[in-house]
Amino acid sequence: MIDMFIHNFKYAFKTLFRNKPLIFWTYAFPLIMATLFNLAFSDIENKEKLDIINIAIVDNEEFQQNIVFNKAYESLSDEKNEDRLFETKYVTRKEAKKLLNDGEIDGYLELKDGKPVITVVNNGINQTVIKYVAEEVAQAIFNQEEVKIKDISSSNLSYTMIEFYTLIAMTCLYGGILGTYAINMNLANMSSKGKRVSVAPVPKIKVILSSVCASYLVQIIGLMLLFAYTGFVIKVDYGSNLLMIIVLALVGSLAGLTLGVAVSSVFKTSQDSKTGIIIAITMLGCFLSGMMGITLKYYIDKSVPIINKLNPASMITDGYYSLYYYETLDRFKMNIVSLLVFSVIMITISVVSIKRQKYETV
Amino acid sequence: MNIFKTVLKILNKNKFIVILYSVILISFGGINMSSNETVDNFVATKPDIYIINNDVNKGITKNLIKYLSDNCNIVKLKDNEEAINDALFYRDANYIIYIPQGFREDFLSGKVDEIEIKSSGDYQSSFAGMILERYIKVAASFQGISDNEDDIIKGINETLSKKAKVNVVSKLDTSGMNRATVYYNFASYSILACLVYIICLILSSFKKPEIQRRTTISSSNYKSINRKLLASNSMLSVILWAVYVIVSFILIGSTMSSKHGAIYILNLLVFTICATTIAFFIGNLVNNKEAISGIVNVIALGSSFLCGAFVPMEYLPEGVLKAAHVLPSYYFIKSNEIVKTMEAVDSDALKPVFENMGILLIFSLLFVVLTNVVSRKKACS
Amino acid sequence: MENIIEISNLTKIYSELKAVDDLSFNVKEGEILGLLGPNGSGKSTTMNCLLSLIKYNEGTIKIFGKKMSPDSYDIKAKIGVVFQDVAVFEELSVYDNIDYFCGLYIKDKKTRAEYVEDAIKLVGLEDYKKFYPKKLSGGLLRRLNIACGIAHKPKLILLDEPTVAVDPQSRNNILDGIKKLRDEGATIIYTTHYMEEVEILCDRVIIIDKGKLLASGTTDELKKLARIEEKITIEVGKVDEKYIDIIKSWDSVEKVSLNANLLVITYSEGKNNLGNIMDYLNKEKIKYNKVYSERPTLNDVFLELTGKELRD
Repeated sequence: MIDMFIHNFKYAFKTLFRNKPLIFWTYAFPLIMATLFNLAFSDIENKEKLDIINIAIVDNEEFQQNIVFNKAYESLSDEKNEDRLFETKYVTRKEAKKLLNDGEIDGYLELKDGKPVITVVNNGINQTVIKYVAEEVAQAIFNQEEVKIKDISSSNLSYTMIEFYTLIAMTCLYGGILGTYAINMNLANMSSKGKRVSVAPVPKIKVILSSVCASYLVQIIGLMLLFAYTGFVIKVDYGSNLLMIIVLALVGSLAGLTLGVAVSSVFKTSQDSKTGIIIAITMLGCFLSGMMGITLKYYIDKSVPIINKLNPASMITDGYYSLYYYETLDRFKMNIVSLLVFSVIMITISVVSIKRQKYETV
Repeated sequence: MNIFKTVLKILNKNKFIVILYSVILISFGGINMSSNETVDNFVATKPDIYIINNDVNKGITKNLIKYLSDNCNIVKLKDNEEAINDALFYRDANYIIYIPQGFREDFLSGKVDEIEIKSSGDYQSSFAGMILERYIKVAASFQGISDNEDDIIKGINETLSKKAKVNVVSKLDTSGMNRATVYYNFASYSILACLVYIICLILSSFKKPEIQRRTTISSSNYKSINRKLLASNSMLSVILWAVYVIVSFILIGSTMSSKHGAIYILNLLVFTICATTIAFFIGNLVNNKEAISGIVNVIALGSSFLCGAFVPMEYLPEGVLKAAHVLPSYYFIKSNEIVKTMEAVDSDALKPVFENMGILLIFSLLFVVLTNVVSRKKACS
Repeated sequence: MENIIEISNLTKIYSELKAVDDLSFNVKEGEILGLLGPNGSGKSTTMNCLLSLIKYNEGTIKIFGKKMSPDSYDIKAKIGVVFQDVAVFEELSVYDNIDYFCGLYIKDKKTRAEYVEDAIKLVGLEDYKKFYPKKLSGGLLRRLNIACGIAHKPKLILLDEPTVAVDPQSRNNILDGIKKLRDEGATIIYTTHYMEEVEILCDRVIIIDKGKLLASGTTDELKKLARIEEKITIEVGKVDEKYIDIIKSWDSVEKVSLNANLLVITYSEGKNNLGNIMDYLNKEKIKYNKVYSERPTLNDVFLELTGKELRD
């Protein structure tokens, strides 16, 4: 029987591997998406850091005479100062207005009767900082004593990583398409090739198992490619626990594969419709786990966590997130268990519907 | 062969795709429906923070929390470390402050305890840090001034209450403009994806070898056939454009009726023309029906990501933006960004917008020429 | 001769339609049995029941003397099936396709390699071994489809309409191949709605319609059922109604019809009919072009049994 297994495995693998649309969606598409994500997101976090703010100060008599303001802004605009906040131009009011209208500066400061007046175009964080600092100077707080604040946050705070984790999840679930192929080629009520297998003197479940294993191998190879590309070229950080990274990849792919197998055994439609169903489920799952907006996953986790626990894409994403961000494996273990439970449910559904040996129609 | 009828039939068969991309656009536009902010007053941006108070909620500590609450948003979180860590990672809270046990007591006895914080590292968290530091600095300067805690608190609050006056000069409805820009930027993705998909399908049905041969030997030459196909496809494009404009009126409202709105609408029309010619070119180049959905995704997602349809242009790396100059979507989105911050709609301000539209039309022309080159080569071979 | 297949009282009902209705027949060792009937007459359903692919409502099916069930692997090992739809992998070459399906039966690699080569030779695909199905014409694809079903040298072969939409060259090749298989000792059931093929190929024929067995026997036996001996078709110029009435009145003439310029006369008895009609036409100076004389076909048999044509 092992001969049969290998024979079928070999050809199933060859068949899947030579199917161009299949290979595009499961191999090339994730790589393309990873490249696009990298190009689009690589700078977001840097640009969200507080940058030097461009301001102007109306260089009137009152400002020149106010030593507190004079010195304070000189120091805050000093290139050598580590806590530098501003790039300051000293100009007339007219010039300041022009600079503001042209978008060269975020706001300008003018001293009137000893009080700072700030002019800005609109609301925003930079404008708020300009205002806040002017108040601080007006409050004349010059306490040189260092304030003792200790940052105890994790250094792994790059939230754009989630995008890449959802991509891994997407690839795992796209493996479901491979699963549908494995079923369709072997069931008599799905394809005429399946009829051939059904009249051959081999137990159906063994042929299917062998085809599904071939699908799994194709899927894992694709996933490894994606890991190699994202890990070494794009430098996505998956944390340091290599073993667990692999375990999650294997379990995640299993969830995707079994989803495809279940969909394919339950629904009696064309291969194209089945592929469509898997893509739709995958995209919905990835949407809920934050592919199109990272915070969506967080809000679901916060308000209706059950949705994400049932969503394999979210569990895969969350698994990589916890490997990256958390030091303990508690949450990771929960993710793995949830994915395994999902896979077992899918396998049960598949086995029940495949076990029917004869059909009403073919 | 009635070309227009055939086109309608193919469209009807694939209406699901059009609906799908439109629903994505509408839900994306809908998500960004935050309430209108008033623009006359200055509204300070408040960072989102969370405070864990391990000290008593009295006196100097209570005052610290009050000051933070006045200047920051305190987010609601489940009181466990995992929820806090998640919130920080997903930027629900930008700054977490742990007030140590005995903070008040130590302060009153002349010591300032070290405060632990967690920070997401972005500008909001930096600002939250400034607010916290300010309070500690001011408080420290009043330390030992009096034995009476209430006097100290009074002194601190007096110092902190000095405000700067802020004038806001803009008359622009920033939030409306923001929403319009987000919507129209995203519409470039929907339009490009829809048109490339549908037009490729239509062309691939016309380019089947049997039909191709028949049309080649028929009296009309490839140019006239291309022209007829282009006309019926343009009709589709205009309908799609009109639908997206109507939806934008429903979602965004008054901003769309302004002069700014008119420019958004015109800009989208120019882009739609360009997208039609792109779709037409690709449709002529590609004959394989199976490959269409792959190509659509790569082209639409690719140019949308690189040109800032999803991630705002200001967040894209310099290099990506430079490379994006070769893509039509760039000029469309660039124009939207210019309109977003345009104070006065006059010929001076509009000059760069019209330049971009000109570039889009040049692109369109280029694609039309390329299409004819490709179909001539195919007709000859 | 031994019965390879025994089907008795087979009935299969789809929700409303009785697809197979109390059908019984046997297949003897070494024969080619033709299963003839129009599209939708229940031929494929009978095949599917035979192979235990679908549930049936009543009846028993025995193959090689044993009851057939989905896990009768010993029986299945001796059967080869060629389905109506082409069932091959687009992604595998001609050789690989045959090798894959053959491998479901034959474990030994060396034997399999021989068998695959034999099958390729049988259907004449030697020059196309490395081709992928997309590059094959319809006829070659059908041949590949057959090779995939019979490469393991089965004792019993079921062929379901293997020549639908096939060019004449491929059709002849396929029919020759099937004869060769029979000569090598296989028993064959051949399902078709082409009566010409049945006449050329089959030792025995079963005619079914609406799931019911209408008649069975050798081609000659069946043709007797048609109550026609001969059919003469004459290309004529103008013929007056009165001549037709006269011809109709002859004893041996069953039916006369005139369609456009074709005069068709069917005879119930068959002696010197051609001579008689020629003489008559000459005598009445009726001009004619071509004359054909035919023996009755299975189509005529079918027409006689059901009142409708085999092909619609």
